[in-house]
Amino acid sequence: MSWFRITLHRSAIGLPERTHGVLKALGLRRRSQVVFHPVEPQFAGMIMKVKELVKVEEVERPLSKWEIKNERRPDAGFYVEKAAPRDGGAVLRRLRQLRGEDVVDEEVKL
Amino acid sequence: MFGAFRITNPLSGGLLWKIPWRMSKFQKLRQRRRLRAVDEVVATLDAALAKQGETLKALDRWKEEMPTEAEMLPKDKYTIFDRKAKRYRKGIHKVPKWTRVSQRVNPPGY
Repeated sequence: MSWFRITLHRSAIGLPERTHGVLKALGLRRRSQVVFHPVEPQFAGMIMKVKELVKVEEVERPLSKWEIKNERRPDAGFYVEKAAPRDGGAVLRRLRQLRGEDVVDEEVKL
Repeated sequence: MFGAFRITNPLSGGLLWKIPWRMSKFQKLRQRRRLRAVDEVVATLDAALAKQGETLKALDRWKEEMPTEAEMLPKDKYTIFDRKAKRYRKGIHKVPKWTRVSQRVNPPGY
């Protein structure tokens, strides 16, 4: 099932009352607001009435409020390094292997 | 004659807004973009409904009657028929709410 992703691009201020009603029925209240409606003739007809005011895309699934918000979030410009897990035992095991001793797989904190 | 107290139409007579008789090239550019944006919305609706095998009367009528931005003559993009205007044409920027209404066809022969 696919959905219409509808964004209100232009305001309906000064346009007929019917146009305001269509936007209200679509759930659009402010510019740049995004709503999702299933691809059905009913909703297509409503979009047709306000085609000069909205931007429409066809998408696979409706996004949640937070997903839409995250789309707008700019790139932070940095990332935090995670501390790598330390395995001091690896060095000792390799040394013992080279010496020909039997290797016990154990973690040693250095 | 000059300065803040000069006698001009807006200063002496109150409200006077002048709309230039023709559009600037930037207004024309934005007008073409708006026309294309509407074409895009209609195309999206059409593609989405065609996938589901649905039809919409308003959409079929639009496709039949309305030319797309590329098919329109410059004359029809930037001017509109007016029975009172000299040579029956006036700039489309004189139409109320002209950036948010679709006005693409004119009487045949004019």
